[in-house]
Amino acid sequence: MIPLINPITLFFASIFTSNILLSNFLGTCSFISISKDWKSAFGLGMAVMVVMTITTAISWLVLTYVITPLGLEYLSFIVFIVVIAAVVQILEMVIDRTSPALYLSLGIFLPLITVNCAILGAILFMQIRSYGFVQSVAFGAGSGAGWWLAMMLLSAIRERTDKSPVPAGLKGAGITIITIGFMAMAFIGFSGMIAVQ
Amino acid sequence: MKKDSMLYVVVFTFIVCAVFVFVLALANQGTKDLVSANKEFATQSAVLGAFGIPFTDKADAAAKYQSMVQKVSTTPPQSWKATIDGQNYIAVEQAGPGLWGTISVILAAQPDGGRIRGIRVVSQNETPGLGGRIEEAWFIGQFDGERTNSGKLVMKSGAEATGGADMDKENGIVDGISGATRTSQSFGIIVNAGLARIMAGGTQ
Amino acid sequence: MSDSKAMTVLRANLWTNNPIFIQILGICSTLAVTNNLRNTLIMTVGVTLATGLSSMTLSALKDLIPRKVRMIIQVVVMSFYVILIDILLRAYMPDVSKQLGPYVGLIITNCILMGRAEAFAQANRPLLSLWDGLTSGLGYMAVLMAIAVVRELLGFGSLFGIQVMPQGFVTWTIMIMAPSAFFLVAMVMWWAKSVQAKNTAGDKPVAKEAGK
Repeated sequence: MIPLINPITLFFASIFTSNILLSNFLGTCSFISISKDWKSAFGLGMAVMVVMTITTAISWLVLTYVITPLGLEYLSFIVFIVVIAAVVQILEMVIDRTSPALYLSLGIFLPLITVNCAILGAILFMQIRSYGFVQSVAFGAGSGAGWWLAMMLLSAIRERTDKSPVPAGLKGAGITIITIGFMAMAFIGFSGMIAVQ
Repeated sequence: MKKDSMLYVVVFTFIVCAVFVFVLALANQGTKDLVSANKEFATQSAVLGAFGIPFTDKADAAAKYQSMVQKVSTTPPQSWKATIDGQNYIAVEQAGPGLWGTISVILAAQPDGGRIRGIRVVSQNETPGLGGRIEEAWFIGQFDGERTNSGKLVMKSGAEATGGADMDKENGIVDGISGATRTSQSFGIIVNAGLARIMAGGTQ
Repeated sequence: MSDSKAMTVLRANLWTNNPIFIQILGICSTLAVTNNLRNTLIMTVGVTLATGLSSMTLSALKDLIPRKVRMIIQVVVMSFYVILIDILLRAYMPDVSKQLGPYVGLIITNCILMGRAEAFAQANRPLLSLWDGLTSGLGYMAVLMAIAVVRELLGFGSLFGIQVMPQGFVTWTIMIMAPSAFFLVAMVMWWAKSVQAKNTAGDKPVAKEAGK
């Protein structure tokens, strides 16, 4: 049964009240490593958002018109991952052609988008909650936008913390994770904001 | 055949995928019966639980389900009838939007909607640890034998939720989950919709 | 202490190169279930098995995999084992499977699997890769169980579902919600790195991961 959530509300809810990173913990690995540099963070965030939206849409189509009619639910994980890998591969080629500078600065992180937990996570949430097509696209785009937003905020904060005196044991990943924790707390403050929540 | 030649790549990938998919298909087939038996049992135990009929294990549940419960409608939304200690009860499967996805419950009550017999959650996608707590015994237990106010139940949510259970069975009020306002509200709406369906005969 | 390869790997994965506080891998998926000890245990066992088995399989296939599709094949192998685990959970532990929801599927993207496949299975024999995967999983499990103990105890007042805290205990709701997991991981990192920094300069690191 398709839940009765307005796609636009779902879009904003995915960014603020149930941010895929700050509330659902997904996508933290590459998050921590790349947020050091603002420009690459921006580029990667955008790439993840694009991939998330496209793959959620394609996965919904494959799920509805191929997997479910054929009763192949147990293969859904593999199919989703293959869809993600294909989309990332195509995106890589597009970026390489249009902006070689971005391609170089993203380096290894571009193919690693394939195993970004957030992307597969968004697809799996969509599957479990039985969203319709428009809702899925809104959810994918919103989750991607939320991930990008969190990335931007974290990268801005890191520029400050990297210059501050941090205890040796916390330098680098430690203080970044604490920062993410505070960001998560701040985002909880959005809880009453949107009707879905 | 050179390892990097296109032909090798395609053949290798194909063989690897074929082998793994084949094994998975075998595993899936092998466990199909067990999985559907689990589903059967889940439904039966939810219906029996809502009716307040105790059972000891899968076999006992199946036996009690067969003997004491009658299925009223065979197509979804499902409903059942049972007579316990001389009193008739109707149970309906009721689903509604929760915070994140659909919440589906089985609600059993007297045919006039005056008193709830019990309720069991069949599926939900709420926040684990918060909205997900609707499956916990303390929350669900509030509904057992709860009197209703002419077929409606009041759900205390948000700031009113005390974080405990409302043990008074005569006041028609239940306590929501503190920290899970929307889930609690949605749950209340679903219960009242289920009651309305039971009072209307339980088949629509 | 024996210096066999196996012991070296074990020591590394549990302490000096622990997936969570040194390699910073695998934080993504499993943190979400750490507010509950039982789910954490099952998830981490799943990750351990999946990592071990896929590392072993990839190591066995390493001479046959063409460069171009290396990542795809790795992902297919990992998905295979995770789906197998999911199928088995669905059949034999249905209530757990329901509780874990999408997070079992997310083991596929758990950075630890990919990380060990790239860093170890590429260059080592199958049995050792299996051991490496299993011990990485153990190191991972230790940290997450420690976090889960704190979160469940303070957030619900229970351990493995058994009420431990006294009746009047006011639960710390923050422990049920997301931020606490992040803070606790950072605390563990801080502790581990400080201890390791004290032990550098040649001598053997304290092999006992004290936890709680």
